[in-house]
Amino acid sequence: MAIAEPLVSAATATGPVAKNYLTALKEAISEEMGANPEMISMGEDIGLLGGAFGVTDGLLDKYGRERVIDMPISEGAIVGAAVGMALNGKTVMAEMQFIDFISCGFDQIVNMMATYHYRTAGEVNIPVVVRGPAGAYGGGALYHSQMNEAWFCNSPGLRVVCPSTPYDAKGLLKQCLRDGNPTIFFELKELYRKNEIAEILPEEDYTVPLGKAAIRQSGTDITLVSYGQNVYHCLAAAEELTKLGLSAEVIDIRSLVPLDEETIFKSLAKTNRIIVVNEAPMTCGFAGEIISRVTTKAFDLLDAPPVRITRLDTPVPWVKPLELFVLPSVEKIVKAALATVKY
Amino acid sequence: MEVRVSFAPLTELMSTLTTDQAPEMSMEANSEMLGTAHANGRNSETRKTISSEPRPSDLLSREDCLEMFRQLYLARYFDVRLIKEKKRGRLRGTLYSSHNQEAVLVGSLFGLKSSDWISPIHRDMPAFFLKDLRGKWGEAERSGMSIQEVCAQVWGKVGSPGRARDNWSHIGSKAKHIIHSTSMLAGTIPVAAGVVYADRSRGGDAVCLTFNGEGSTAQGIFHEAINFAAVHKLPVVTIVENNQWAYGTPVSQGSPVTDIADRARGFGIPGYIADGQDVFDVYDKVANAVAHARAGNGPSIVECKTFRAYGHGDHDDDRANRYRDQEEILMGRLRDPIAVCRKLLVDRGFLTGDAATAYVAEGKSATDATNDDFPPEVVDFLNQGIEFAIASPLPDAAEAGQWVFKEAE
Repeated sequence: MAIAEPLVSAATATGPVAKNYLTALKEAISEEMGANPEMISMGEDIGLLGGAFGVTDGLLDKYGRERVIDMPISEGAIVGAAVGMALNGKTVMAEMQFIDFISCGFDQIVNMMATYHYRTAGEVNIPVVVRGPAGAYGGGALYHSQMNEAWFCNSPGLRVVCPSTPYDAKGLLKQCLRDGNPTIFFELKELYRKNEIAEILPEEDYTVPLGKAAIRQSGTDITLVSYGQNVYHCLAAAEELTKLGLSAEVIDIRSLVPLDEETIFKSLAKTNRIIVVNEAPMTCGFAGEIISRVTTKAFDLLDAPPVRITRLDTPVPWVKPLELFVLPSVEKIVKAALATVKY
Repeated sequence: MEVRVSFAPLTELMSTLTTDQAPEMSMEANSEMLGTAHANGRNSETRKTISSEPRPSDLLSREDCLEMFRQLYLARYFDVRLIKEKKRGRLRGTLYSSHNQEAVLVGSLFGLKSSDWISPIHRDMPAFFLKDLRGKWGEAERSGMSIQEVCAQVWGKVGSPGRARDNWSHIGSKAKHIIHSTSMLAGTIPVAAGVVYADRSRGGDAVCLTFNGEGSTAQGIFHEAINFAAVHKLPVVTIVENNQWAYGTPVSQGSPVTDIADRARGFGIPGYIADGQDVFDVYDKVANAVAHARAGNGPSIVECKTFRAYGHGDHDDDRANRYRDQEEILMGRLRDPIAVCRKLLVDRGFLTGDAATAYVAEGKSATDATNDDFPPEVVDFLNQGIEFAIASPLPDAAEAGQWVFKEAE
């Protein structure tokens, strides 16, 4: 699977090599640490080990123990201390070793961090990015596979961001670290080292704005909206649909909060049909939120009932047939698209 | 690991105090106390036995001691007056009385530097204006909130530091180094750790005092945060106001250790116990903890043994009189911090003659106490705040939708 439209023009043959998603994240953190002496990175095993997946590899050597903190296994303290540092002038990257473990720091995130700006009437900004590897499809089972973004979308005051490409991973992470708001940043660990999506990144500093969706493929018959690794399922489904004579538009929303509704509505004005795909459970999930906004704000544009393809309302089981059974797939998207077009 | 400076549990302090300090307390009362709220089997040093070196409070000037005494009145009057205002229907929300616990606030805050941080909780409303008040009652610019700001918050007015977006004690000030409190007790300890970590990285020597109830020491975040602070030797002093009751649950049902200070052992840090009714003992123990922290030796816990005079909040006053034994309540209120302080000041010759008994606020409920029971400067100070609060407008309703996010500059 590959992005249909490369976001960056191909470099010359002698130019820089394509970089994967993990390298993009690593560069974002390291470059921001370099540019901002008041930035601190903290998390479990991020220093000596360089992070469970290597996102912070080399960071300790470069910036030292004061700024790259190997934290005790205490997600609450990680988030709480990050908030305190932010209260006293720091910018903080706080890693959750797996985004599944973020629940251990939940109170500090939703009650302490998310509300700080609001309850101080704007006196205090909390530039803290809590980031970590998320997502299923890798046999990680119940506690290493989650996409729990809906918890945080339901907690006012948090940015919720989920890049699908190396370019976005770097540009969005940099943007979040400069944004001044607390952010939950979902990385797809299955994309970390996926060579097929590696791409040339700009040499110069850049950011990707929040609240701007990316149209990954243009189309006219149906709109597929997604984020994270499900974007690639949508692109593969679009390819299948092309063979069947259907033109699908694929939108990668990139940030959930804030959400770029405009791009979705504009697409819908062309296609009049929409399927939202994400790998989180269905009930109260973000697919439902997008569909709710479509039906309340763009009802007249619909020629068919909107569809959501999500994980079943189950935990993520371990062995492959079980795991795939509960998750969105290319086949499920193609089947739903055909039904929607025929409606 | 540091040697604990003092382990004087209240029971033992009582037996010491009855001989030379405790005001008007019979031996019967003392022995009853041994069997009730402050029951404690520890045999350890008492206040008297650690006096080979001067205590920090021994070095306080007469002026400072009288200032602390006045601050006790101020904290008490704030409580008394707000209860009266609430009963007149002038205030919204729940009032968490600090009655009988004022010595914990005054004693722990008195020795701080302006650059230090604090993190008060719901029962500590006076802490917001007591911070950095020492000798600065008339100063508008100090590292503590003005009484106007605090009252505007209580009245829910726009003059509140948080523009009255969250209620009562849920305020703070980055500029004045006061961490904003929430309802999740112990939840500000990691924030305190982060604040001083950042301060230390810039070469600062600020200490942060966090206030907590004994109930919140059962929270996971209490342990996570102190563990982190201990690993990094961060200057975080965790004050535990052990008032024996976490809402409707006695400490015996919330903690397996009689002395909360013992929890310090698991982190390899000092745990001090202070007589929470004695402003000078609190001052001494906190001064030791702060000196320890400021010297780079890391965090500590200071348990202040005290007693919650009323209900958890004013909504709970009636029930608290039923789920707690009358005898326990009587005993717990017996050593009023104002009376204990008065006795010590008389003993030191700092208070003499009529001045010693000019204002008798101790032992009086909010209903019984009147303005005449308090020094006029205390009444005036609070009146200024209340007048400001009443005159301050309500926030504009549309503000409710503001400041969810920091907007792009």
